Amino acid sequence: MIQLSLQSMSDAETPFVTRLRATGDSVDPTDSVLVAEDADGATYAGRHGLISILAASAADLDGDVVLVAPGAGRVERLLRARRLDIPTNTLLVTERCDQLCLMCSQPPKKTHHDRFQLLTDAALLAEPESLIGISGGEPTLYKGQLLTMIERVLTERPDLEFHVLSNAQHFEEADVERLCASVYDRVTWGVPIYARDPGLHDHIVGKDGAFEKLQDGLAVLLGAGCRVELRTVLLSDNAPHLAELARYVATRLRFVEAWSIMQLEHVGFARRRWRELFVDHLSDFSTIGAALDHAHLHGVHAQLFNFPLCTVPAAYRHLAQPSISDWKRKFVPECGLCTERERCSGFFEWHPDGEARSAVRPL
Amino acid sequence: MSVVTDDLGLIDTLRQRQVSRLRSRPLRNGHGLFVGDNGRFFRAGPSVQDRLNGGGPSEEDLRFLDGEWHVLGSGSLERRSRRYAEAQRLGWSHRLDYLILVPTLRCNLSCSYCQVSRASLSSTGHDWSDATLAAVLDQIDRLETTSIKIEFQGGEPTLRLDLIKAVIDRCQRFERREFVVCTNLQYLDDEVLELFARDEVYVSTSLDGGAATHLSNRTATDSGTRRFLDNLNMIIERFGVGKVSALPTIDPRSPPEPDELIDTYAGLGFNSIFLRPINFHGFARKRHPESREQQSDWRRYYERFIGRLIERNWQDRSRVLEETYLGVCLRRIFQPGSERHVDLRSPNPVGVDYVVIDHDGTVYPTDEARMLARSGIIDLAIGSVETGWDTPERATLDRHSTNEFDPACRQCAYQPFCGRDVIDDIARYGTIDMPRTETEFCRKHMYLFDLIFELVYSDDPAVRHSVCRWLRLPGTPVELGPTLP
Repeated sequence: MIQLSLQSMSDAETPFVTRLRATGDSVDPTDSVLVAEDADGATYAGRHGLISILAASAADLDGDVVLVAPGAGRVERLLRARRLDIPTNTLLVTERCDQLCLMCSQPPKKTHHDRFQLLTDAALLAEPESLIGISGGEPTLYKGQLLTMIERVLTERPDLEFHVLSNAQHFEEADVERLCASVYDRVTWGVPIYARDPGLHDHIVGKDGAFEKLQDGLAVLLGAGCRVELRTVLLSDNAPHLAELARYVATRLRFVEAWSIMQLEHVGFARRRWRELFVDHLSDFSTIGAALDHAHLHGVHAQLFNFPLCTVPAAYRHLAQPSISDWKRKFVPECGLCTERERCSGFFEWHPDGEARSAVRPL
Repeated sequence: MSVVTDDLGLIDTLRQRQVSRLRSRPLRNGHGLFVGDNGRFFRAGPSVQDRLNGGGPSEEDLRFLDGEWHVLGSGSLERRSRRYAEAQRLGWSHRLDYLILVPTLRCNLSCSYCQVSRASLSSTGHDWSDATLAAVLDQIDRLETTSIKIEFQGGEPTLRLDLIKAVIDRCQRFERREFVVCTNLQYLDDEVLELFARDEVYVSTSLDGGAATHLSNRTATDSGTRRFLDNLNMIIERFGVGKVSALPTIDPRSPPEPDELIDTYAGLGFNSIFLRPINFHGFARKRHPESREQQSDWRRYYERFIGRLIERNWQDRSRVLEETYLGVCLRRIFQPGSERHVDLRSPNPVGVDYVVIDHDGTVYPTDEARMLARSGIIDLAIGSVETGWDTPERATLDRHSTNEFDPACRQCAYQPFCGRDVIDDIARYGTIDMPRTETEFCRKHMYLFDLIFELVYSDDPAVRHSVCRWLRLPGTPVELGPTLP
């Protein structure tokens, strides 16, 4: 696992964003340039003074955009320059959420530390042509700041794109006009939907009336011509009703760019309730296969996230995306022989090893 | 065969329950097909039709209809997504990015049904002049698009490689480029092969069946046939089968055995066969007057051909053979907007996203229109490459290029899947003012969609296998079309 938060020391009094450089070439005023490196770590100098990052190698960090938090004694690698594959760097804008999904991988917190200005600074320093993820908590709880950040960054950086994970509970008809702006052509909204049945969806997200709000939110996104990716995490609760959801997506929601059916992450709330929630697609793929077929039959691009390739029947394998970011992805020893690792999601770092090892059939 | 009789009664009953408008079409075995404006459809047996027409839909019926999106909901999502789905079914022509160019009308063959009224090899005045070339290049410079597709037709366009190259050179500014050279593959010298070797260049040719069929239709001499087949094989071997597309033209009076044609195509590595009967234009009209409308013989042949494809796909699952146009119509039913096919869409405006520029710089809306003009039937030119084609002629054709307001089409269950082709009407009847159901375009598509729905609702696993592959599905679901029990 690659650490995204590192121990550090800095002279600054307030948090700031900077880009780390291993050499003095192409220095931008916002860059911090390496001045010393030894077995303990790397030290950089920039306009906010010195930063020492412990147990880190300057080669690894070269080009990374980091948030330095002097009070906490940490640096957070917001945008890693040396990411290996498609899943993006993700900016966490808040840890508050108005839903409480029963499998939440990142349980929400009550407090919110506003750091939109710092995240804006960071996004403006992103590598050319990057896709930046925005996640939470629920980012649209701070809709005004969020949209302002998106507009500012995308106006200044016509080469960037955002992917925003949002439960779409907080859009209003009045937002349609704003979301029609051309910068939003470069924003995809990843919106979770768990079931066609309002009661079941509400139960899974832990919020009464959530499904109805979701429909309104999707209507706003559709009205503005926004790009939408639907996301459905598989659970023992909703898996039996996947066909119904597929029909709903292929009719009322056929404007979406993609529908991602996602396997569960063994972390957060799901960790404690794993046996109860996990759907073993290896022993029965038929409902998932039928949902994929139904969506594709009607021209909706359905795909699989967090499904290792060898656990998916061959006919559906091309729909399984390498969806797990490199920093939290692992392969088990059995994967060593596999020729398809490059294209494979692998497993989450926190997936039980025993289950992973017994599931793998190297290709 | 029993039919759905009381259509209006059904609609009335359902409307009270906020069921959306449904149009019906009898299927075999007394079933009826019901289609909503959004293109969603279902099948219902006679007892259900009686129930719907008589006492009204049951709770289960309404639940089914709601799941299939035939019950109108409330709320902005419902309103917008309904409009979205209906709009998705409309033809979408935006800006010009597809040119069919005829740099020369001269040809080194004289095919029995040549559709373009060729000119002899040594004739003059049948190639682009310098001024025409300059005007074509000027039009290319003015295109506001990032992708371009150009088809070089003729005559035999490789007789004027210099013109082809001049056009391709001028197109290098586009991000995506595709050039198709439509050639009879009679003479391939190094210069032609060098052109074909470019990644952005594709080859399209005619291949009418086995060697004997091709000989009698086209090449006229054994040596000509051999040269063609040798060249075709050589190109496939050298550049891969993806470089080439081949189209047969079938004489419906003596079509080749389906297996002869399929073997020829499959043997060369082609999976898609566009089964076209002789078209009614140009010299073909004079020599084959009976080709004005497709006869039932042709339809029997077509069905036999589709049957063979299905059997062969079932026997050898490693490859998927398909009839090109059947695939297009099938995917239009389920996957609106998934591909661009300018022959079947509505509205189908002319001179918007593609045009034909003839050897003398005249601009036509379609290749068919060019042939009509050449054969003296009617001049459907919409302008010229020098002066443009934003003309009253084009506006006149465009005013009627939709099936949206046609009284017959409005009653038709297949309207959401179908298209409109004013040029075809004019070609056959000299007018577009025909009751739609009396046109060949309508009869042909009614036949095709009837056939397709029979396949969609077939229980035969071999049929389902092929239909699912033609729909590009990963698996083979048990049900492709819903049935209201």
